[in-house]
Amino acid sequence: MIGQASQETKVAEKPAIAVRNLDFYYGDNKALRNITMDFQRRKVTGMIGPSGCGKSTLLRVLNRMYDLYPGQRATGEVLFAGRNVIGSGVDINRLRARVGMVFQKPTPFPMSIYDNIAFGVKLHEKLSRSEMDARVEDVLRRVALWGEVKDRLKASATALSGGQQQRLCIARTIATRPEVVLLDEPTSALDPVSTARIEELLDELKKEFTIAIVTHNMQQAARCADQVAFFYLGELVEMDSTDRMFTAPKETRTQDYITGRFG
Amino acid sequence: METTSQTVSPAARVIGDEHGPEAGDGRRFDTDVVFRWLVTAAGIGVLLLLGAIILVMVVGGMKAMTAFGPAFLFTSVWNPVTQHFGALAPVFGTIVTSLIGLILAVPLAFGASFWLTQMAPARVSAGVGMAVQLLAAVPSIIFGMWGFFVIVPLMAHYVQPTARHWFGHVPGLGALVQGAPFGTGLLTGGLILAVMVMPFITAVMCDVFASIPPVLKESGFGLGATRWEVMRNVILPWSRSAVVGSVVLGMGRAMGETMAVTFVIGNSNRIGWSLFAPGNTIASLIALEFPESPAGSLKLSSLMALGAILMVLSFLALAASRILLGMSKKGDGR
Amino acid sequence: MSEGNGSIRDDGWKVNSTLAMRRRLMDRLATVLSLLATSVALIALGSILFTLVVRGVGGLSLITFTHSTASPGQEGGLANAIVGSLIQTAMAILIGAPVGMMCGIYLSDYGRGWLASTTRFVSDMLLSAPSILIGLFIYQLVVVPSGQFSGLAGSLALAILALPIVVRTTEDMLRLVPISLREAGIGLGASKWRVIVFICLRAAKTGVLTGILLAVARVAGETAPLLFTSLGNLDWSVSLTRPMASLPVTIYQYAGSAFEDWVQLAWTGALLVTLGVLFINILVRIGFGRKGA
Repeated sequence: MIGQASQETKVAEKPAIAVRNLDFYYGDNKALRNITMDFQRRKVTGMIGPSGCGKSTLLRVLNRMYDLYPGQRATGEVLFAGRNVIGSGVDINRLRARVGMVFQKPTPFPMSIYDNIAFGVKLHEKLSRSEMDARVEDVLRRVALWGEVKDRLKASATALSGGQQQRLCIARTIATRPEVVLLDEPTSALDPVSTARIEELLDELKKEFTIAIVTHNMQQAARCADQVAFFYLGELVEMDSTDRMFTAPKETRTQDYITGRFG
Repeated sequence: METTSQTVSPAARVIGDEHGPEAGDGRRFDTDVVFRWLVTAAGIGVLLLLGAIILVMVVGGMKAMTAFGPAFLFTSVWNPVTQHFGALAPVFGTIVTSLIGLILAVPLAFGASFWLTQMAPARVSAGVGMAVQLLAAVPSIIFGMWGFFVIVPLMAHYVQPTARHWFGHVPGLGALVQGAPFGTGLLTGGLILAVMVMPFITAVMCDVFASIPPVLKESGFGLGATRWEVMRNVILPWSRSAVVGSVVLGMGRAMGETMAVTFVIGNSNRIGWSLFAPGNTIASLIALEFPESPAGSLKLSSLMALGAILMVLSFLALAASRILLGMSKKGDGR
Repeated sequence: MSEGNGSIRDDGWKVNSTLAMRRRLMDRLATVLSLLATSVALIALGSILFTLVVRGVGGLSLITFTHSTASPGQEGGLANAIVGSLIQTAMAILIGAPVGMMCGIYLSDYGRGWLASTTRFVSDMLLSAPSILIGLFIYQLVVVPSGQFSGLAGSLALAILALPIVVRTTEDMLRLVPISLREAGIGLGASKWRVIVFICLRAAKTGVLTGILLAVARVAGETAPLLFTSLGNLDWSVSLTRPMASLPVTIYQYAGSAFEDWVQLAWTGALLVTLGVLFINILVRIGFGRKGA
């Protein structure tokens, strides 16, 4: 079984996350079936498929967000940094700091812009005042928000526009210095201009982080992702480099979905 | 009034009354109109009822208000022999016992709603939540008896002697624990009130905490925060005004509570520092003094005036809590 | 497990140990404290029920239900108080529930603008108004003019307390009735009042009944508003124009007395009232919970 997966691991570098034979259940309802895939280090992996196909569910397995809800469980292996993170004995809080997540809707905390970023950092590191200031400035610059907010860091984050809020949430996530950033349809609530800015940002971020992005938007996947995985009814139908997925998919189901959307 | 009802029910006007039994005969008797007036009258009746309650209190208290003037509010004398009455002592007692009650109840309610909404498994939470609500349903006279027969002896034999032993000689604190160990008094009253209002506050807080968008909580957990950190840094700031609203609502409850306090307050119109000294609240004074207050007497009028004050206090509390609870509903930014 | 990801050690899992320790401790502490807070409520409920059962059950016998209250030393029961409570509670619901339902219908289907929102606020105000003031109000309005404490006055005071509970639940429940049901009724040509009374109210029956039962539970245990209205009566009396006994007032009068058999009766009465009130509450919550699920 493990051997089957090796077709994806021809790349020289080890994958950042390796999913092996993953099943996921909501109660008695099986939502993911035998998923095996790799998330390449410092690459953007796009995950596409119709609603309810399991792509967001998979994302929530990677940082064990499903732990919050009783009755949800995963079996199989999710290998990250030398451990099976869905097994027991994993420091979940540490895991979530190393595998950050950005959500569909911008979710600024009801506190100042500065505190939104400092909150996550303080959970894991003890920084001096000046170190914290530097960290806040650094991540705000990287999400291209610094110029817009540097004079009102103490203002409430909820007063920002939707696009600014989402960039703040990305800044908040990378401020804890994760290795992997999970994005769950991060632009679905944003206007086209804000969407374009977030997509530019992804190009910058992948120099440093491994990125997994769930999207409904086929063009977005084509624009941003290095490799694309297509999910259907809880199964991973096909996964390949972006070029090949959109020009020569192997599976007819993939082709139907992609062309259906384009056509 | 006419304009409101005109705009209300286009459906009613369109439909007409051909199905009514009276349709067809000469006098057009529109049941729909009658029904509308009937229920509107019930609504207005409720308005008038509250107006009448306030009016009766104010008119009833007029005699005392004119006899003592504004000084009624600022004197603590309650002397039926000299026919001299003042509101200060019971108002003081009402506010002190309610504050003690809240100081004890709010952390308990916060802890319980934190546990019930964030920690407990759904099934346990449902069962325990129901038990907490049953506590809220226990009649207040039962709290009074329980307080009198169970809590008062505990206070007299253990709490007050211990408090005096430790704090009696500390300057400042010592004044708070003076007095004979009867077991009754302001602290005991506050304690009983705490047990009574805690389930109310818990219920409102649970509703508030359960209404936070899950994705906001998940963002907190997504950064690696613990349940407590998410509660402290995400949920609490998000629901701050509603939480304050629930506390004020509890304050209103505590101030108006009668029977539970009457049993344990000690019935004395004094103002002092000691938490163990007997006192009175507006409600307990009315309950205790009413039997010796003949209709038309100055004393009864003074009780009515106290009632009017209590009405104002609980009105303010309710209005404040409504505004605070409403604010968070609009301001959740979704 | 071995291929691809076989890195042996990974320093990323290491954490700032003092910080992590402090966070874990804080979380534990919060957990323990919140559990303690919850148990305070449970302990209080347990202590109240335990005290009631231990002190109340001993006085429970057939005489409790067949004899009226009597002088100390004589065999007395609570028959007059039980019947008085039943009568006054029933009267209060008979008066309060219809008016409350009408007001609820007004708020859900007719009321608009400032008048409706004021009515809603006033109803909430009545819901949390100190009950002793309702007693004073009826005393001035009914008892003084009629020159007589009476069961009717007590019923009226309790009715005012029951009213806002019924208003609130009726309005809430009617609002839950789907628009489509109303449209279906109107589409059949039914007039608006028929749609409300025969379709919406019927659909919301369980919820409205819940509200009425909760109102029963609330007023059955009320003492303060009865002190100045029905006053209490040591003898058997079912006349609405004369003072009338009730369980809560009898408890209040007897609990503080110096006679042991009176105190015993107070505990027995307290046990009966509490069991009745809690029974209704459990019934409502479990019955309603099953409907919801």
